[in-house]
Amino acid sequence: MPEASSLHSLFTVAWRLMWRDWRGGELRLLFFALVLAVTSVTGIALFTDRLERALLLESANMLAADRVLHSPEPPPAEINAEAVRRGFRTASTLSFTSMAFSDTGNMLVAAKAVSDAYPLRGEVITTMEPFTRGAPVGHGPPPGEVWLESRVLPALDLAVGDRVFVGETELTLGAVIIAEPDRGQGGIVDNAGPRLMLHMDDVAATNVIQLGSRVSYRSLFSHDDFDRLDEFEQWVRDRFEGNYYIRDVREESEEVAEALDRAEGYLLLGSLFAVLLAGLAIALGARRYSERHYDYVAILKTLGCTSRRISSIYLLIQLQLAAMAVLLGSGLGYLVHEGILRALRASLQVDLPPPGAQPYLVGAMTAFVCLLAFALPPLLALRETPPLRVLRKDLTQTRFSDRIPYAFGIAGSIFLILWYSQDLVLTSLLVLGVAGTGLLLSLVSLLFLASSGSAGMKAGNAWKLAMTAVRRRRRQNVLQVMVFAVTIMSLLILGLLRTDLIADWQAQLPEDTPNLFMMNVTGAQVQDIEAFFAENEVDANAFYPLVSARVRTVNGADPEPAEEALDGEGGGSLLENNQLEPADTADAAAGSGESADGEGRRVRGRLSRRQVTWSNELPPDNRITLGEWWGDASRPGFVSIDEEYADWLDLEIGDILEFEINQQFVSAEIASFRSVRWDNMQPNFFIIFSPGTIDHLGATFLSTVRLETGQKLLLNDLIRQFPTIVVVEIDALIEQIQTIISQVTSALELIFALVLVAGALVLLACVSASLDERFHENAILRTLGAGRKLILSSLLIEFSFIGAVAGVIATLGAEGGLFYLQEQVFEQEFQLHYWVWLAGPALGTAIIAALGINSTRKVVHTSPLTVLRRVI
Amino acid sequence: MIRTSGLTKRVSTSEGELTILEDVDLHIENGERVAIVGASGSGKSTLLGLMAGLDTATSGEIWLHGRQLSAMDEEQRALLRAQAVGFVFQTFQLLPSLTALENVMLPIELKGDAGAGAGEKARGLLDRVGLADRWHHYPNQLSGGEQQRVAIARAFATNAPILFADEPTGNLDTATGGKVIDILFELNREFDTTLVLVTHDERLAHQCDRMIKLAAGRIAGEESSVEAVHA
Ligand SMILES: Nc1ncnc2c1ncn2[C@@H]1O[C@H](COP(=O)(O)OP(=O)(O)OP(=O)(O)O)[C@@H](O)[C@H]1O
Ligand SMILES: [Mg+2]
Repeated sequence: MPEASSLHSLFTVAWRLMWRDWRGGELRLLFFALVLAVTSVTGIALFTDRLERALLLESANMLAADRVLHSPEPPPAEINAEAVRRGFRTASTLSFTSMAFSDTGNMLVAAKAVSDAYPLRGEVITTMEPFTRGAPVGHGPPPGEVWLESRVLPALDLAVGDRVFVGETELTLGAVIIAEPDRGQGGIVDNAGPRLMLHMDDVAATNVIQLGSRVSYRSLFSHDDFDRLDEFEQWVRDRFEGNYYIRDVREESEEVAEALDRAEGYLLLGSLFAVLLAGLAIALGARRYSERHYDYVAILKTLGCTSRRISSIYLLIQLQLAAMAVLLGSGLGYLVHEGILRALRASLQVDLPPPGAQPYLVGAMTAFVCLLAFALPPLLALRETPPLRVLRKDLTQTRFSDRIPYAFGIAGSIFLILWYSQDLVLTSLLVLGVAGTGLLLSLVSLLFLASSGSAGMKAGNAWKLAMTAVRRRRRQNVLQVMVFAVTIMSLLILGLLRTDLIADWQAQLPEDTPNLFMMNVTGAQVQDIEAFFAENEVDANAFYPLVSARVRTVNGADPEPAEEALDGEGGGSLLENNQLEPADTADAAAGSGESADGEGRRVRGRLSRRQVTWSNELPPDNRITLGEWWGDASRPGFVSIDEEYADWLDLEIGDILEFEINQQFVSAEIASFRSVRWDNMQPNFFIIFSPGTIDHLGATFLSTVRLETGQKLLLNDLIRQFPTIVVVEIDALIEQIQTIISQVTSALELIFALVLVAGALVLLACVSASLDERFHENAILRTLGAGRKLILSSLLIEFSFIGAVAGVIATLGAEGGLFYLQEQVFEQEFQLHYWVWLAGPALGTAIIAALGINSTRKVVHTSPLTVLRRVI
Repeated sequence: MIRTSGLTKRVSTSEGELTILEDVDLHIENGERVAIVGASGSGKSTLLGLMAGLDTATSGEIWLHGRQLSAMDEEQRALLRAQAVGFVFQTFQLLPSLTALENVMLPIELKGDAGAGAGEKARGLLDRVGLADRWHHYPNQLSGGEQQRVAIARAFATNAPILFADEPTGNLDTATGGKVIDILFELNREFDTTLVLVTHDERLAHQCDRMIKLAAGRIAGEESSVEAVHA
């Protein structure tokens, strides 16, 4: 027979079988599972692709650029030239502290000179009347103008159009500045006092910048191609060997970096679960499908079909199915991500670059891998069906189908996890974890089901029927319970993780997060300032003494910091970015200060001066991880160290550290290690002394306070009464972070919804997989005289029981999984979710019983004859 | 031509080895119609399965259509089946998701002869078995007798020279069974095929040229049907 026509006829047969199976509903579940896999992966890939860009754009607003370079002196012109050569947009700013004069008074202001192109991202919001809403403009003040923050106007008795003197030059007040994109950035000179913005060209005329002045240069860079930005960053790193760093928003703000990291982690986890659940649904669908096709294959074989051709036929069916699923899934994936983005667009306010082809490719690949791993093995195992089955129905093959599919499924899952996460360590941990849990769970479920027999004997008839069924189908039921448990577990994990992440973010920046840092407060001023706030009914927080200290020796020897931790680049806090800034700024004062940089990045310069404090009380959000906090019974001579810092210097409890503070040497014994929450916008310290140890060495004080919008004018009074203190406002920063977090939150919700759908599909697939047998059995029972009610209630009991067991196991697994994920991956503190221990099993029972009864209703409403007549 | 020599089939069960067929020698000529009869459990279906190459023997030789089955693997046997063998079973064994017409077309298409010819031929056969107007019906819309007639049409679709039938009337009432058998014999004569018919219906067996009796896995006797000789 000619090859071509043979192929053609194969195709005809495959197509017809598929079409007919589709009509009969057998393929639909498999198809929908495939579509779901493609939809969720494509949707999530498209979404993360574009969301990531959107979030980066949004957070770029915080920098007024995509990348920033800080320096205390003008940066090499070469950098800017290279950026221009590469097609970047560039701008520059120069910050310094200065006095602004009007005809009637003067005030210390945080001056910022900006070039024409400023801001590259985001907008400046200005108005003509102080304390009004204002409107966005895409530029800074033109030459000859100054813009001032609202509260300067009443303080200096100014109105728009009046003259303002800065240094030796006279400028016109052109507008009132309500907000600027990068207000939260920069060092202390950017934030000490209300804003005065002027044009870069006017700086020379003011003549306030002298050698040794505290200034901060920022070069801004922007480009729409994210890869180009990374290349440029690398170029600067190579070219200047670490003397200059280009940073993005993640390096600038730990809050944002963490929110983004965690959101990405969650999205990854979500898509993983979605695909694995879809894979499970595919596996179940394919299994059921192939079980129904044993007879087909036996018949086809008696008709002379070889095993090879059987494989070809089923392969063709699967490929046709996959092709359609990819088409439909890609379309749906696009719609899903469009819908998500549309919901977000209101808050994003940026035009997103169109997505690339990559997400579609990933979706199609997923369909292919899923098929290969989950569907093909049972289908290919069909070829082993002995043709003799047409004569003896009980004959099936077990040689191939029983174990290989699991191996394929597991290999496929591992591949998918690895492929999505690109992380070998995470993958192996996850795989080992899942394997361990799986083993444990199957043991537990086997035990549960085995014990069911004796329990049911005494109960009524339906109960007895159900429990016999549970026992009789023990093997399938273990599988079913496992599938239910894994599904419910995935949903619980993602649901709880989502809740915890969101709660964590909310706790990080609660309503009363202080928006004002006061520094450079002398001991004598502390009481007066407290009195000032008390008078004005503002709750002031505790004052922390601040001293600049350096670790000189550890147990008498030179400290030996760990190598790898020093790899970090960037570095320093927002305030420390300003390298001219002397020791009177604080790690603490940074607010987002120390926290501004990630783990490794934070380490750089730790051996240089640190802001240290002393206290009787453990600062909020600090936790003792080793040793003891001295509390009220403190004695001088002890010190408490941040645990990461301790790790880095390889310190132990009881070590003696010698510090250099204001040219004096002080020794102290390590009493405890602490974990510090760096992202809470509160004063945080690497090193805390016990009171009495360094009190005599001369400290300034630091405190924070929250001023509501209506209380902002108090600032003017505060500064007038205490002209020497430095006040830093971080409202803008807090607000920007909150925006990003709320966007990330909605992203989490949507991903969770998608996974929910996947989970529902698996549950459905699993229930229907067990239907055929139940159909037949119950038809026989009914011909033997069992009533519908009896059968229904027996089914109800059976499914509830399975659901309850699955719920218990799922809860166990979810808490275990969460423990691992939160402690290891999301860096959260794990806490047991007590209510889940009730809700999990209850939910399992309810869902499985409802699903089971709903799908088996047919079992009792189809006449037994119809069922029994379904020969084959 | 079908020939077996020393054909033995043993299976291992939980109670040890069970001999289903032992030392079966038989010879069936081309065009011959042979009935295999015997009590239930005597090994008739097993013998049929072996001769048709659906299963492998424990020992002994089988020649089918000039080929020695024991020397072939399952793939080769499948190809041989496609060329030379048709089946009719007690339980019909139609694909439930295909229509009557498609069921009949299936072996033609599997042989690689797709196209308009297949449809025409299948329709012709359905016409011959009296189901011309039921071609678009699915198996579950047909009665047992009608399903069996579709199965017979399918068995003749590829002009296979050998036809195996395992109790084709076992699931049918006497009258329907009679009609089905008439059609089977009619087509058998028309296509001049070798027919191996397993049955425990003595009357049916007598319609064949020859009757082979099985008892407990051994050939217990043979007789030629006078009736058939004169037919
Ligand atoms: N794979 C097997 N495993 C165990 N026993 C088997 C197997 N195949 C056949 N048998 C047994 O061999 C004997 C013969 O079976 P076979 O199906 O050939 O009988 P039969 O003559 O066709 O009977 P019936 O008229 O009832 O169809 C039976 O007792 C059967 O139980
Ligand atoms: Mg039999």
